Amino acid sequence: MNLLDIRNLSIELDTPNGRVLAVDRVSLSIKEGEVRGLVGESGSGKSLLAQAIIGVLEDKWHVHADRFHWRGIDLLRLTIDERRALLCRDIAMIFQEPMSCLDPTTLIGEQLSEAIDSKQLSGYFWQRKKQRKEAVIKLLHKVGIKKHSQCISSYPHQLTEAICQRVMIAIALAGRPILLIADEPTATMESTNQGQIYRLLANLNQLKNMSILLISHDLENLTHWTSTITVMYSGQFVEAGTTEQIFNKPMHPYTRALVDSSTKANLQLPTKSRLMTLPGSIPILQHLPIGCRLGPRCPRAQQTCVSAPKVSNFHGHKVSCHFPILHESPRKESKKHKAVKHKTVKGNN
Amino acid sequence: MSVLLDVKDITKSFKLKGHWYHKRKFNALAPISFAIEAKKTLAIVGETGSGKSTLAKILVGAEKPTSGKIYLNGQLLQNQRFKERCQHIRMIFQDSGTTLNPSLTIQELLDEPLTLNTDLDEKQRRQLIRTTLQKVGLLGDHMNFYPHMFSGGQKQRISLARAIILQPQVIILDEALAALDPSLRSQMINLLLDLQQQMGLAYILISHNLGIVRHFSDDVMVMSHGEVVESGKTLEVMRNPQHKVTQKLMMSQNFQIK
Repeated sequence: MNLLDIRNLSIELDTPNGRVLAVDRVSLSIKEGEVRGLVGESGSGKSLLAQAIIGVLEDKWHVHADRFHWRGIDLLRLTIDERRALLCRDIAMIFQEPMSCLDPTTLIGEQLSEAIDSKQLSGYFWQRKKQRKEAVIKLLHKVGIKKHSQCISSYPHQLTEAICQRVMIAIALAGRPILLIADEPTATMESTNQGQIYRLLANLNQLKNMSILLISHDLENLTHWTSTITVMYSGQFVEAGTTEQIFNKPMHPYTRALVDSSTKANLQLPTKSRLMTLPGSIPILQHLPIGCRLGPRCPRAQQTCVSAPKVSNFHGHKVSCHFPILHESPRKESKKHKAVKHKTVKGNN
Repeated sequence: MSVLLDVKDITKSFKLKGHWYHKRKFNALAPISFAIEAKKTLAIVGETGSGKSTLAKILVGAEKPTSGKIYLNGQLLQNQRFKERCQHIRMIFQDSGTTLNPSLTIQELLDEPLTLNTDLDEKQRRQLIRTTLQKVGLLGDHMNFYPHMFSGGQKQRISLARAIILQPQVIILDEALAALDPSLRSQMINLLLDLQQQMGLAYILISHNLGIVRHFSDDVMVMSHGEVVESGKTLEVMRNPQHKVTQKLMMSQNFQIK
């Protein structure tokens, strides 16, 4: 069953020059126990989407969706308070820079114990304090911090970034969430620490059956840790499928370019040869092209690309492009082509 | 090929707070020696605190080495003579957004190194700025713009223009590719490789990303706690990593070369 099911979610922003469509009809679904990657370059609206899911966007952003279901409950029909209560019980989020998200004036131990719901504690009121402390230590052990007493009695600036990120994950885990949204959890981190954080998330996914939405700008770092990937470009849905499908048989020209430009995936390339890349850069929000937003940069663009393409589904591999790169054998393709031709001839008769 | 930059036994140590009789020292760099030829790239990899950035600062002249000598084309580079050094060795920083002065136009930004280091008149300088901007893939008319009008990738190109405008021989890239988006990063790599062929530049690349290191560099130097633990041809080191630090780095990025 789908945990989160979003269909055609749009986010608009009020500007002096009218409304701008920042996120344009993006669909996203997360199954139970799945690690889904959300990939897109900066300015593609992936963080906006994450913030829209947990409902922390400011009033100037307007969110519409055709369907917005959380475990079968239609979130759009709930009042704001009901929705907040539901989401804060089930979904937790960790942010990009752990150092700046933790309160610098409060001890780590206090911040952690604040996050523990008193409903989780059993016992009389005089036992509560001790229980809470035990729960904090348990949480720290869960995220792999062994020196708990030292960590509890220190401020965020006294700890390294990787440990701060672990504390953030511990705070997120305190509510025992079903879905964890990780918004670039390892940006500005070293590769050895990155590996540790990803491994911790993978462990949580396997041991607790917790679903994870992993947001990142780099496709090559994600592939090892995710089972399915959704790619976005400039606020539009590009492609979704399993990691193998996306990485080995990309259908959208943009995903193809991302995979081709990755130095890690193309180890067979001779050193110092030219890398495949798209010309130009990501359009800014004020000057978005109409139709498919990749249009001006796309090598396969044709006249029809001025209208936004519909999402087509190839055995669970969804792609939003008028001219997807098909990897079927050439014979099959020609057969299909013939069949279509035959039909049109009939129609004319 | 002749050696372009020759570094011999560079060390750096910082004085720490301590008692009179217990003066403590922190050795940031153990004696380090290496050499680069023109049109070659040396990559320096290592964890934070391994002394990569200290080494870069010493090469560019922002810090004085405690001991050791740097030779450029066989000539000794003196520590105090920045004018000579800044023409030959230039540096690009990680975050191009914060290293460009927001209150100056691109022309004024690029004009500064020219007025300080060359005898060109105003017309020649303007022409040089125009051609340099075109060389890095921007338009000549961009020189009247301010830095905030550019995107991240374009800003990085401007920093590159500022680095190459004095026709240097060595460029130091201190994590210059880390903060860019993947598609812009590969554009930038292509541009850097083209410029290397055209101008005969030598690069010193400081990076975490082993994929880029493999693609971009000829030689690699792995550092840990101020010491070089492994060095050699990039492909040979990556095919058969000997030291524990190198193996750990490659493991953490799931990086393997057959």
